[in-house]
Amino acid sequence: MGKYEGNPVWDDVVPIPQDDGEGALAQIAYTDEYAEAMGYLRAIMAAKEYSPRVLDLTEHIISMNAAHYTVWLYRASTLRALNTPIDKELSWMNEVALQNQKNYQIWHHRQILIDQLYPSISSDPAAIQALADSELAFMTQMFDEDSKNYHVWSYRQYLVRKLGLFNSPAELKSVENLLRKDIRNNSAWSHRFFLVFCNPEYSTPDSKATEYDARIPDAIVDRELAFAQAATFEAPQNQSPWNYIRGVLRKGGRKLSSVEQFAGEFVTLPEDDSAEDVKSSHALDFLAEAWSEEGKTEKADHALRLLADKYDRIRKNYWDWRRAPLKEKTSK
Amino acid sequence: MGESQLDTERHIKYWRRCLKSLLPTDYTSTDSSRMTLGFFILSALDLLGAGVETLPDKERANIRDWILKCQHPNGGFCGSPNHRYPDGYYVDVGHGKQLMDPANLPATFFAILSLGFVGRLDQIRRRDCLRWLKTLQRDDGSFGEFITEEGIIEGGNDTRYCYLAAAVRWALTGDQVSEEEEKDDIDVEKMVDHLRRGQTYDGGISESSEHEAHAGYTYCAIAALSLLNRLPDPSTISSSTPGTASTAKLPGLADLSGMVRWLVSRQIKYTMEEDEEEDETSSAEPLSLAELSLNESEFVGFNGRCNKKADTCYSFWVTACLDMIGSGNLIEPGPIRRFLFEQTQHRIGGFGKSPGSPPDIYHSYLGLAALATMKEPGLKSFDPALCISIQQKEKLDKMRRDALVPTRTYWKHGYSFSIREDDPAYEKTMAASEEPPRFIVDALKIVR
Repeated sequence: MGKYEGNPVWDDVVPIPQDDGEGALAQIAYTDEYAEAMGYLRAIMAAKEYSPRVLDLTEHIISMNAAHYTVWLYRASTLRALNTPIDKELSWMNEVALQNQKNYQIWHHRQILIDQLYPSISSDPAAIQALADSELAFMTQMFDEDSKNYHVWSYRQYLVRKLGLFNSPAELKSVENLLRKDIRNNSAWSHRFFLVFCNPEYSTPDSKATEYDARIPDAIVDRELAFAQAATFEAPQNQSPWNYIRGVLRKGGRKLSSVEQFAGEFVTLPEDDSAEDVKSSHALDFLAEAWSEEGKTEKADHALRLLADKYDRIRKNYWDWRRAPLKEKTSK
Repeated sequence: MGESQLDTERHIKYWRRCLKSLLPTDYTSTDSSRMTLGFFILSALDLLGAGVETLPDKERANIRDWILKCQHPNGGFCGSPNHRYPDGYYVDVGHGKQLMDPANLPATFFAILSLGFVGRLDQIRRRDCLRWLKTLQRDDGSFGEFITEEGIIEGGNDTRYCYLAAAVRWALTGDQVSEEEEKDDIDVEKMVDHLRRGQTYDGGISESSEHEAHAGYTYCAIAALSLLNRLPDPSTISSSTPGTASTAKLPGLADLSGMVRWLVSRQIKYTMEEDEEEDETSSAEPLSLAELSLNESEFVGFNGRCNKKADTCYSFWVTACLDMIGSGNLIEPGPIRRFLFEQTQHRIGGFGKSPGSPPDIYHSYLGLAALATMKEPGLKSFDPALCISIQQKEKLDKMRRDALVPTRTYWKHGYSFSIREDDPAYEKTMAASEEPPRFIVDALKIVR
């Protein structure tokens, strides 16, 4: 006897077991418990039953397989039909999410719930703030486990848009805290870029991440450059802020050479035969590009050669490829 | 294993075990993706030269029947029989059959590719499938994973479903969509626009340009563009001025040189100490030459995002991207092979996620796929966009053309049969066809 068979609560249900047959691919050694519960879920779904016991059943299945998308969907429909308080579901989900770090469905389900909840609080700034605070607290807990959890960051971007948190001091502050803990956290850098350059107050709607946005104020560009530059001094070989700087310059419509002096802090290439001093391969790459931009092909080529032969040999083919068009220019 | 070469026999053994025996209970979380795992198993054996042709006819037919059993009555496929009800449940509700558990886009793609190994594409109800596929596209050009009875498109707006949609379209309609079917075709322009918007400030692609670039999403976008013939001609890539490449010639990618930079940056040197240290403290210090020199025993792995650790699967996602945009020569296979062979290849066959991990189906397949992309001897030539051997792609190409040949009905002894127009016996059979039985002719008259 299983959990459901012979149980008076489920007596009226005739399970619909999976029919695998011969030739089944990727057959799994399901536990009897899972196979039984799935049979009951299929029967419940076929009967379109939305009752409290469905919540128990879906919770049970989720505890065994949190990646079964139909279970989540059916649970969401049941919650809606029963008018179950959303905060209760959210706190249950916190536990599930903490136990299933790599699960996508949980975060999708959470979005469905927030979408459902939002209309009831949209005109109440205090309620929105309270929700933002509690969600932030939970995400911080998730980030304590894995500060680069992709699903959580995805959900966070959704939440920033949904609740309009672009100017929330807590939002930027929390990203700064994560970067203080780990300056190499590229997820946090990406989130900062989103917060700053997608802020509807001063950015062009639908401006691509890879293009110049004339509406971005100079002061913002300066502030972001300063922030990222400070991070490069902390860890010169950390690529995240170097990428960030390129991104900021592009948004601000500025040339790489506009911060050439800064990048030069990490690289000394003497004119004579004395040895060069390179503290960051990313700085060398940055300078190579800036010099190429300015037509200083020989200097650019020298930097790329150093990268290829000495400072970043695992990408030798790439650096050599970058050198090829410079040689053409020089020979013309 | 300790040697830098593919131990074909051991891998074949691993995959045969996956094919023949039950997967451990730990795989329960992949219950909805069994079709995906099934495809990996069939395709891995194909790559290793031990494909389904080595199985008895009966076994092949059983596999085919299982895949077809997962076909949804309203078009598309389900990920496993746990999502597919017995036929009787799909009752007609006036505007089609009851949905029950909806068909799923990844399952559909992997079912089609798997049928390529054991069946034929004309066993797919392609019109239904294509009409269903169209219903999965959103206004922003993206695709969902499935559509509910209420018409809600579920699943992220990311590049994964765009890729799968492009691939299903490739397999069912071919490169040219006929005029007759155009109205059922997906909106390719919108999809390309959506993919174009996904490039991030650092050159990679993410689920949207607002999120962190990720090699898996990048692969899906580039492979989708490749299947739609919307990748730029490799000869137009400019290496001189990264980030400022002309966009006019780059239909699907806004910034191709930024993309190349991001892709090659995914290569990281793997050192054993990395596993012990949580973070690389060395990054704060000046580079020392000893640390950066390349020698014979060096390992190069790939990460999926900036500053993350190496993982077998990204060796494929990244090398495949470079290959598809014509920059496969920018990587050096030696240290990458060494990483896969000596660090993640397992002694029982297969590959694990990272050094020391046990093998699993997903990483084992993508490990082989990465090697095949780099033209590893002992593996069949590979098509990175469809993630199958070129031989299998050619077979699919023939099948999809065959599936488009119309069939006609003929009558014999009061029973109807169908015959394809390209059958050598077509003319003769049709000429010998009897009249349909009287009651059918009468019934048709009444209808008219």
